[in-house]
Amino acid sequence: MDKIRAYWEKPSHMAYLFVMPVILLLLVFRLIPMAAALVCSFFDMDMFLVGKGFVGLDNYREAFADKRLWNSLLVTIKFTLIEVPAQLIVGLALAGLLTKNTKRNKLFRAVYFLPIVCSATAVSIMWRMFLHSNVGIMTYWLERIGIRGVNFLNDPSITIYVIIFMSVWRSFGISTVIFVSAMQNVPAELYESADLDGCGKLKQFFVITIPMIKETLSFVLITRFIGSLQVFDLVFTTTEGGPNYTTESLVYYTYVKAFSNNRMGYGSAVSMFLFAIILVITILFYARLYREEK
Amino acid sequence: MRKIKSGSVYFLITLLLIVIALLVLVPTVWIGICAFRPQTELMQYPPKFFADQLTLRNFQDITKRIRIWGYVKNSVIYCLALNLPSVFLNSLAGYAFARLQFKGKNVLFILCLATMMIPFQVIMVPLFLEVYKLGMYDNFAGLIIPNLGAAMTVFMTRASFAGIPKELEEAARLDGLSEFGIFWRIMVPLVKPTVVTVLVLGINGSWNDLMWPLLVTSDTSMRTLTNGLAMFIDSSLQYGTAFAGAFISIVPMLVLYLFGQRYFVEGVATSGLKG
Repeated sequence: MDKIRAYWEKPSHMAYLFVMPVILLLLVFRLIPMAAALVCSFFDMDMFLVGKGFVGLDNYREAFADKRLWNSLLVTIKFTLIEVPAQLIVGLALAGLLTKNTKRNKLFRAVYFLPIVCSATAVSIMWRMFLHSNVGIMTYWLERIGIRGVNFLNDPSITIYVIIFMSVWRSFGISTVIFVSAMQNVPAELYESADLDGCGKLKQFFVITIPMIKETLSFVLITRFIGSLQVFDLVFTTTEGGPNYTTESLVYYTYVKAFSNNRMGYGSAVSMFLFAIILVITILFYARLYREEK
Repeated sequence: MRKIKSGSVYFLITLLLIVIALLVLVPTVWIGICAFRPQTELMQYPPKFFADQLTLRNFQDITKRIRIWGYVKNSVIYCLALNLPSVFLNSLAGYAFARLQFKGKNVLFILCLATMMIPFQVIMVPLFLEVYKLGMYDNFAGLIIPNLGAAMTVFMTRASFAGIPKELEEAARLDGLSEFGIFWRIMVPLVKPTVVTVLVLGINGSWNDLMWPLLVTSDTSMRTLTNGLAMFIDSSLQYGTAFAGAFISIVPMLVLYLFGQRYFVEGVATSGLKG
């Protein structure tokens, strides 16, 4: 007994006891499911693991011919390509205006961060009422200025943009806060000498600030990009993919197939499309980073 | 001349900042206003922004229609029973990676980091099947255990532990403290800001978590607030009651944000929250 104790009391042995719980948890609930996701995609089964069993590439063959899947892919890409630049530009501009740690700036920053601490459900309830097709205040205000019949949440041509707006509205505070902390680390001397050269503030922002925070900028770009490709909460709570599938994102479609239709194998195959896209983007991103470092 | 110009620029910028602040504040405050308005007033035409009369009716209604306090209880359990042990276990690992020497350290750390690259939505199906097969469907074990390991927390605490001077550790070792004693009594108090940051962000994340509770629970007695409320608005057009629920769901987080704002901001600036 004492021997066992003495063995584990050595720091280099004790360390294994310290890291083991987390390593095991991550192995069982992250790494194994990752491998299993690929395996599942070759099976036909429901949540009770009942079904035709191994079907090879059948799920993928079905997926490639699945119009609803391609639609959800396009919706997701459209969402990401508009949401991420919008969020980044808003975040950059606001961070540029609020870099200094004055009381006023801190207050604005605190306010901008507010929506992200609220749940997507609460945010969705509010916007659904605000944009209601009959008794929504926004709809009413538009009617007052002569724009009639706008149906924000049930119009195939605009609802996706409403979801994009809600997403930017909810989380631009995150980018703002991250950019502010990066901009505060830019050496003040750079601005001082630019001032002496008669370089205007706006020009300073583009020639000093942006290049100096390039690393943070690319970090935010890649994390927001990957995050946007996984959009689910706002779609689930606001439109459920409608109208006419125009807001059905890839993850929402995966959810519908795997959990509502109870087709776990097919759902896995669909989620592999998301994985492939994220993998390609991540590799391209790090390859570029690596090249630049060289 | 130049002074006047910069003065008016400052004014215009402040105006812009105020407009954006209102764009955020007004809808958020409006949730509070609508929670106390009669349902009929919400559905009247023309709609009004401010309330004519205030009532507690919505709150009475929601307790009748769904088990809202049960949902709140589940959310509180989910937040605490997940995040307290999670922070403990992950910072224990973070400490070992930062300050102890052992064979295979780098390999294990890279393994840990690799899990940060795995998008949750890609593994949700197999993870669900695993939880189901392990008998953790529709109970707290399934809600909590799969999310205990968090590589981001390991990563963040490791960075903080690495910054502590070596003398402290050596002094403690000479005093005869065990390795765990050094971690718990000496090291953890020194990285308290990081621990609180991780805890605050974790609690906020679990409280607002929609997807995982949606997947692994189905019985209404197991629903969390965010999830149960989403199900409720799905099946009803009772906006008044929905607003009461939304109000109950955001107030605890607003209070947390009010007192822990510093931690939110620091945590997001270093880790880059999803959302």
